[in-house]
Amino acid sequence: MEILIQLVFSGIALGMIYAVIAFGYQLTFATSGTLNFGQGEALMLGALVGLTCVDTLGINYWLMIPLVCLFGAFQGSLVEIVGVRPAIKIKSEFGWIMSTIALGIIFKNVAENVWGRDDLRFPSPLPDEPFQFLGANILPMEVLVVVGALLMMLLVEWFNRKTIYGKAVVATANDRDAASLMGINTGVVIMFSYALSSVTAAFAGVLISPLTLTGATMGASLGLKAFAVAIIGGLTSGFGIIIGGLILGVTETATGFYISTGYKDVPGLLLLLLVLALKPSGLFGKNAIKKV
Amino acid sequence: MKYSKLLLFTVAIIALFAFPLFVNNDYYIHLGTTILIYVILLFGLDIVVGYTGQVSLGHAGLFGVGAYTCGVLFFKLGLPFYVTVPAAILVTAFFGGLLALPALKVIGPYLAMVTLAFGTILQILINEMSFLTEGPMGIKLLKPSLLEAEIGERQYYWLCAIGMLFALVVIHRVLKSQLGRAFEALRDSPIACDCMGVSVYRYKVYAFVISAGFAGFAGALYAYSEKYISPNTYNNELTVLFLLGIIMGGRKSRLGAILGAIIIVLLPKLLDDINLFRMVAITLAVLVAIGSTLALSKKITTVRKVLTPLVGTVALAVFSLFLKNITDWRLSIFGAMILLVVYYLQDGIVGFFRNFYQALGGNTNNHLVQTEQTAVDGSEVIHKARETDSNAPILNIESILMQFGGLKALNNVDITIKRGTIHGLIGPNGSGKSTMMNVLTGIYVPTAGDVKFENQSVVGKTSSDISLSGIARTFQNVQLFGEMTALENILVGLHHTFTANFLDVTLHLPRFNREEAAARERAQGLLNFVGLGSLASEEARNLPYGKQRMLEIARALALDPNLLLLDEPAAGLTAPDIKELLTVIRKIRDQGITIILIEHHMDVVMGVCDNISVLDFGQKIAEGVPAEIQKNEKVIEAYLGGQSA
Repeated sequence: MEILIQLVFSGIALGMIYAVIAFGYQLTFATSGTLNFGQGEALMLGALVGLTCVDTLGINYWLMIPLVCLFGAFQGSLVEIVGVRPAIKIKSEFGWIMSTIALGIIFKNVAENVWGRDDLRFPSPLPDEPFQFLGANILPMEVLVVVGALLMMLLVEWFNRKTIYGKAVVATANDRDAASLMGINTGVVIMFSYALSSVTAAFAGVLISPLTLTGATMGASLGLKAFAVAIIGGLTSGFGIIIGGLILGVTETATGFYISTGYKDVPGLLLLLLVLALKPSGLFGKNAIKKV
Repeated sequence: MKYSKLLLFTVAIIALFAFPLFVNNDYYIHLGTTILIYVILLFGLDIVVGYTGQVSLGHAGLFGVGAYTCGVLFFKLGLPFYVTVPAAILVTAFFGGLLALPALKVIGPYLAMVTLAFGTILQILINEMSFLTEGPMGIKLLKPSLLEAEIGERQYYWLCAIGMLFALVVIHRVLKSQLGRAFEALRDSPIACDCMGVSVYRYKVYAFVISAGFAGFAGALYAYSEKYISPNTYNNELTVLFLLGIIMGGRKSRLGAILGAIIIVLLPKLLDDINLFRMVAITLAVLVAIGSTLALSKKITTVRKVLTPLVGTVALAVFSLFLKNITDWRLSIFGAMILLVVYYLQDGIVGFFRNFYQALGGNTNNHLVQTEQTAVDGSEVIHKARETDSNAPILNIESILMQFGGLKALNNVDITIKRGTIHGLIGPNGSGKSTMMNVLTGIYVPTAGDVKFENQSVVGKTSSDISLSGIARTFQNVQLFGEMTALENILVGLHHTFTANFLDVTLHLPRFNREEAAARERAQGLLNFVGLGSLASEEARNLPYGKQRMLEIARALALDPNLLLLDEPAAGLTAPDIKELLTVIRKIRDQGITIILIEHHMDVVMGVCDNISVLDFGQKIAEGVPAEIQKNEKVIEAYLGGQSA
């Protein structure tokens, strides 16, 4: 029983990270109907830039976070300008899928050349001693991950609902053509959504890194599993991805413990295939009506 | 023309087989073998990417399944290659089907991600299931043996060459058959495809299964070629490499696949040499610079347009000079190439030269291809409607309710359609006419109520089942298969006349030949019937608008329907076109086919319909013969607006 509680708590921390990355998918999907297939690489770059700030430049962990977010915004805008905008212009779905994948490959390769191919340790800003809660050992960092992830999502939601710029984002998400006719520069909004999406990913990167290791290859599987979360929860439901993230996080830690760590990625991906086969709009998503 | 093609083909085959005789280095022969293997895989990938237009990121995984099936059967059971290779094809095809079942309910980015997930799962399984696959250790194989001796590199090349030619024949025949047409049709317009009785879902699964079979074949040959397989080979980068090959070579082209394979095999080898890479990068930059200055001086293009490629190539050249080690940056260069191809070489190398050739050799594309006109009337090509109880109505629409959220697009509508009549369905915009069409053809499932066609309920049946049971339709916004010729469009409609299976198609057995010939004759007849006989080999998207509408009607007739739904067939037509349309509609009715006609041209509706139902805000407000409808107060009010109370 104690082991189970322990697994659930570690699963929650992991699940919240998935939820934040999945949230990033939702942001760009809402405004432009496109996704960044290199979202995992955005996270990885954020984590590695954060590591350089902390390790090499000696910047405090908390001060480093805004810098990493700034970097994420820059990186996301770059992806939008190079990979997505031309594809939207020529209305080529194949185009943006391939170009975001290509950019992901380039980012990963650059990271390999800059930071090396080995996994690196990320110093934890909080004490490494776990505390006891319901008989389970919990790291302070795990609590920070959950709180940070929730804060990030709440902040973006607040921005979208309460500010005029956020309303432009929501308007574009609802109907891009109508928003554009109302004088909203939808191109800028889409770029902004990409920037924001990469900011959340980079932020997730520096949150998760002290718990795991960082390295050029950390992004790929995180990005893919976060996509599974976005699908399981539904690409349109903010609440859904938190539930989806928790489901995936807990099953993953449980699989890792009870079966084998080698198999830990499998249940999430199987769940993805299963949800798509049974309810393609996700557990909490709305069905789209096709028009003829 | 025909001779020169045959000659070229013969020379190519001789060159293919003679290649290892002139090369004495095993390394180069091995490269040749690898190219041949990748060609087979790209043939298969082209079915999915080029023809059905889906993005598959799972093909490296399938390639791995083929290799491992072969490896495991060899390693554990010691089976010979003539058992392992067919087994690899079958097992991989099965996995392809497994991938397709959940994946193909979704489209676009979802599909791409799902195939990626599938490929990742396969890679994990290969790595973890050590009891079967020996895990990260990998499996060692021997080349197939002939007369008790392991064959050499050269003999194995010949074996792969035969395999490649075999794959070429199979893929060519499949794509030229009703299967290939279905694949192409579902890419151009999935909805029209379903309404022609070709189930989009089923044919996407077929496409994946066949494609996976090729991947399995290639994987098996690869396992023997490398003599060692390990899980890390079949990663996501390999998938991306395959996709790069197919789009760079050119989609929907066998030559494109071959070129693509050559590029993706040789490119990494070229990139191993830093000096060679520097030369290539600098030459490229110089060429692009010269090309853009030329284009700018002749004012063909603008500075903005050439800026990105120019800056990109110059940056690459400068970058190459600073580089010490090229192998570390290989993936970045692949990534850059993908970006380049996606935006500047969308039709691939083959497509680029085809367009270039057409631009040089006069515009064959601009004037419509006219061939000899044969029969003129040809109403005999329309099969008479099946005669049953002629007094019973053909279609009963019973209190249909179609609700979208709070909106009732159709609110308890009852309509009865008499057999053999032309029934008009009119109403102002947004009154629910097109919604009704979509309910009748299974695109929407109604919230409540029932539709009985020939006393059988169609509610809940799929569009393709409904269309096969005898309801054909056209679309308000023309839904033709744009990249296919007029004749091929009709042939998709005639898909239901084919019973030939995969084997009949690949071996050209008599059943397939007979059915194909019959279908082509009938399709030509149907084209003649709507007056498009001379435009049979023109691509549908190049036809004038009025002809496109006629083609849609002919395609619907190919289904041998009892009930034909025409959704605004006269919209946007000129007066002479409308006259022709009316003649055609009457001729169809004379064959006993019942017609439901949605139309805004009142002269058309009043002139041709036997009965008319009027919808307004989702409700039926009037029904009767044209003369009654014209006098009906409610109808006049709905169209012209009532007096304010």
